[in-house]
Amino acid sequence: MEPQDRRRVLEALLLSSPEPVTPARLGRIVPESSAREAREDIEALNEGYAAESRGFRIEEISGGFQFRTLPELADFVQQLEPVPPLRMSRAGLETLAIIAYKQPVTRAEIEHVRGVDAGPLLRGLLERRLVRIAGHREVPGRPILYATTPRFLEVFGLAGLSDLPTLREIEELLRDRMPESDDAPEMIAAPGGDDGNEGDASAVAQDADAPPQTH
Amino acid sequence: MTNPSATPPIAGTVASLFEPITDAGSACAIRLSAFEGPLDLLLHLIRQNELEITDLPISQVANQYLEYLDVLRELNLDLAAEYLVMAATLAWIKSRMLLPPDAEAEEEGGDPRAELVARLLEYQRYREVADTLGARPLLGREVFAAAGAAIALPPEGEREIEVGLLQLVEALRNVLRQTQANDSIHEVVGEPITVRERMVLVIDALERSEVVELEDVLRGLDGSPPTRPIIVATFLAILELAKIATLRIFQSLGDAGAPEGPIRLRRAIDPSAVPVPAESF
Repeated sequence: MEPQDRRRVLEALLLSSPEPVTPARLGRIVPESSAREAREDIEALNEGYAAESRGFRIEEISGGFQFRTLPELADFVQQLEPVPPLRMSRAGLETLAIIAYKQPVTRAEIEHVRGVDAGPLLRGLLERRLVRIAGHREVPGRPILYATTPRFLEVFGLAGLSDLPTLREIEELLRDRMPESDDAPEMIAAPGGDDGNEGDASAVAQDADAPPQTH
Repeated sequence: MTNPSATPPIAGTVASLFEPITDAGSACAIRLSAFEGPLDLLLHLIRQNELEITDLPISQVANQYLEYLDVLRELNLDLAAEYLVMAATLAWIKSRMLLPPDAEAEEEGGDPRAELVARLLEYQRYREVADTLGARPLLGREVFAAAGAAIALPPEGEREIEVGLLQLVEALRNVLRQTQANDSIHEVVGEPITVRERMVLVIDALERSEVVELEDVLRGLDGSPPTRPIIVATFLAILELAKIATLRIFQSLGDAGAPEGPIRLRRAIDPSAVPVPAESF
């Protein structure tokens, strides 16, 4: 299949899919193609969209690809269908950040980092399906373990957990903010290393009964 | 944090309470609503005074922190317990710093500030991550996805029907019969099984994959081979979830028009219908 035709098929697939489609799947459907080729074709498509200043591009989200509108067009798209604006409080974001890096994590561990009760925040994050219950830790009391969901990646536009800023990047940001502090404190766990398959948190989860989420 | 017994001038947001308190140029001219707990407040004091976290002047920080709590108390606001715990911690560290280093302190690893400093540094990192997360274009706020979702076809073109109670009970009997064969020895285990707990596990399974087979769920969600009480509790949990419209129970319609094949569970479409089990908090 000619590159031009492959890209037409890719566009059709991505436009009709309700959720991000993995490059492996795209490679299987598009004749004479592969995951790597699908990735390259998408890159070429995006370059074309940018050159023609289209209103959308293909983003890598949660281990797959998805058509998304450009952020600068938000004001217009929002008028299409009035939805309550998504609001994330700083406390909610902090809790989410802790879960994203430390997952699977117990409520007590989250509370230790933030120094305050995490109950209402966890409830909100669970209700918005940004966080899920990932089983129990096998210690006395069997505390519930929390992990992020593929939806978390979709909402924040992340290709996978490894797309989160690395520890080094965080330290650099902090150093920029406070030039007088030049210490390098001990590390926090880097986000899960599975850059490919579905970008899912449960690959780093320690409970064996949590298979990767499917889309 | 607002006080119900507050007099009219104190009505309104907590933030507005704090704006007038700029007198004496004290470190307490701060807005309460901006703080998300004692660590956040401490970080604010540290930044405001351009202090070095790793070499924290504990006496100065502790004094400012206590001043802040005093203001809260004067305003008759309820103080979250966490703030008081931190005040006690600061006072303890301060007292330890005043004492000459002794053998006991050496054993504990030297600097009494170490643990607090480590917590502050860790919290500061996650706050930074939170800021970068919050700065990303969010789906449904800044960016919008192609909405192929509007046409949700059943997988593999299966025609599906909702399952009747008889088929459900039949599936339960199947699983129970197999288990009976396995555990012929009667064993008394004092393990409490609650339907609520099983509901959490079923929701969890549906979070991971949209469609699961009923019998797979009954055979065990947490890896261990289930006992009869567990199977029954799981079954009740599924019925309960179906009742509150969190999941739907399906079976394929065969070519002959009769239901056939495995009974499947599917997450209900409306995400707001997913209950959050109370015991997880």
